[in-house]
Amino acid sequence: MDFLVAPIAVAGIAGIMATLVALVDMVANNYGEVTIDVNEGKKEMTVRGGSPLLLTLSTEGLYLPSACGGRGSCGACKCRIISDIGPYLPTEIPYLLPEELKQNIRLACQIKVKTNIGIEIPEDLFNVKQFSATVTAIKDLTYDIKEVLFELGDDTIDFEAGKYVQLVIPPYDKIKESTQRAYSMSSSPSNRNQIELLVRLVPGGIATTYVHQHLEVGQKLDLIGPFGDFCRTASDAIMLCIAGGSGMAPFKSMFYDMLDKDETNREIWYFFGARTTKDMFYLDEMRELEKQLSDYHFIPALSEPQEGDGWEGPTGLITDVLDRYLKETIETEGKVLEGYLCGSPGMIDACNRVMNDNGVIQDNVYYDKFA
Amino acid sequence: MKMTPELKKAQENMNPGVITAEGFLGTDKRNLSSILDEDAQMMRRLEVNPDEAARMLRHFMEEGQKGLGEPVTVDGRWIVRTDEARGHLVCPWEDGIFRKINVTVERKDTGDKLYFTDLSIHLLETHGFLEGKGSTFRLNLEILAHLLML
Repeated sequence: MDFLVAPIAVAGIAGIMATLVALVDMVANNYGEVTIDVNEGKKEMTVRGGSPLLLTLSTEGLYLPSACGGRGSCGACKCRIISDIGPYLPTEIPYLLPEELKQNIRLACQIKVKTNIGIEIPEDLFNVKQFSATVTAIKDLTYDIKEVLFELGDDTIDFEAGKYVQLVIPPYDKIKESTQRAYSMSSSPSNRNQIELLVRLVPGGIATTYVHQHLEVGQKLDLIGPFGDFCRTASDAIMLCIAGGSGMAPFKSMFYDMLDKDETNREIWYFFGARTTKDMFYLDEMRELEKQLSDYHFIPALSEPQEGDGWEGPTGLITDVLDRYLKETIETEGKVLEGYLCGSPGMIDACNRVMNDNGVIQDNVYYDKFA
Repeated sequence: MKMTPELKKAQENMNPGVITAEGFLGTDKRNLSSILDEDAQMMRRLEVNPDEAARMLRHFMEEGQKGLGEPVTVDGRWIVRTDEARGHLVCPWEDGIFRKINVTVERKDTGDKLYFTDLSIHLLETHGFLEGKGSTFRLNLEILAHLLML
């Protein structure tokens, strides 16, 4: 039996060590109950310490924007921390501007709540809710863009046209964790029981692949929102709106909202770019608006029209078309112009350059820089 | 090649949920060292020069970005679309961060398609890593060679 002594001794020592580690962990990582003060007393919550701030807040029904589900790869969940919570983590620095570092802006997904803290968030985030929605319609707009309609049941959503929601994608196939992605709402705010999204398939994209290949009518899915700052101003400045692909969504919402609110006299130029007629959609709907909004001009353009497309409209990259119209067609003398952009960071940078070159001041250009 | 501490750390970072939800290894059960060794052999066999391939992929990405999110014809032979999402991805080797740019390249005459990301170019160029078998963004060498006409 002597041969058993050594293994039993090793197993015993290992067991004692594991117990010690567990005890130390319980003591050292037990932060107990801590309080989070939001916006100087606007909301105070008592929570169990030790978890990331983003997760802790969402558990309490307060949602910050997040396009990566807390993985630290989107940089969207920024909030200002009033208390001292220690130095910046290497995972936060790449996402923060120098002025944000000075203001103690942190990534809520990266910092853990270990003591009582105070935070500052934009007031409109108190309006953000999680909706359990039902898919009631899925329509193909092009070969790679789907229009998806969600019913909110007894719940309602209040939002300004231009805002976005985060679609919560459940685990599927190789994807073992729930994931969130941001999509602008294309429905009008007057429709408070439904949310419509336009989703363009991104090859290899987790959320868009799910929507295009797995999502079915009747299915339930969670949506979190509304988020974003991309809304039209209340001024009478000329609106220069530029989009391509699913970037159509916030503009559709804005124009129908203006119609619903009887704001029908504002001068609007809507430039919508696509490669070929196969990539173009909502042409009839957007042209119909020209009859209902008195000074609205829809300018669809193709960058690479194909033989047989029968396309007679403007051609070229949408930035080139915008440049031509600003120089030759739109009367800008003595008028204030505002730019509204929805697209990739590259598209926004290119449009900004054209607008600035044509006298549109940067402070009057609005966008949410996400795909 | 040995599984050095650096490779072990990189392989941990490639698991699902660490940097990306899907991870970088797909269904591949080999360790990272074996994946790198075997893919390097295959590149030699197919006469794919990783630096040349990375240069062409970067060319497609940069030309594709000129389409501002819409597909664009590049060099008359390929249709390229780039999609940019918010944020960045860290390289599993922790030697750089990269914009989330997805690129789709289609050869016009054959319809062959290849998907890759900004990070894929770095992984190929710097680490000789094509991603594991079954991974969505694995650079399939045969398709790569055919598509790029290497």
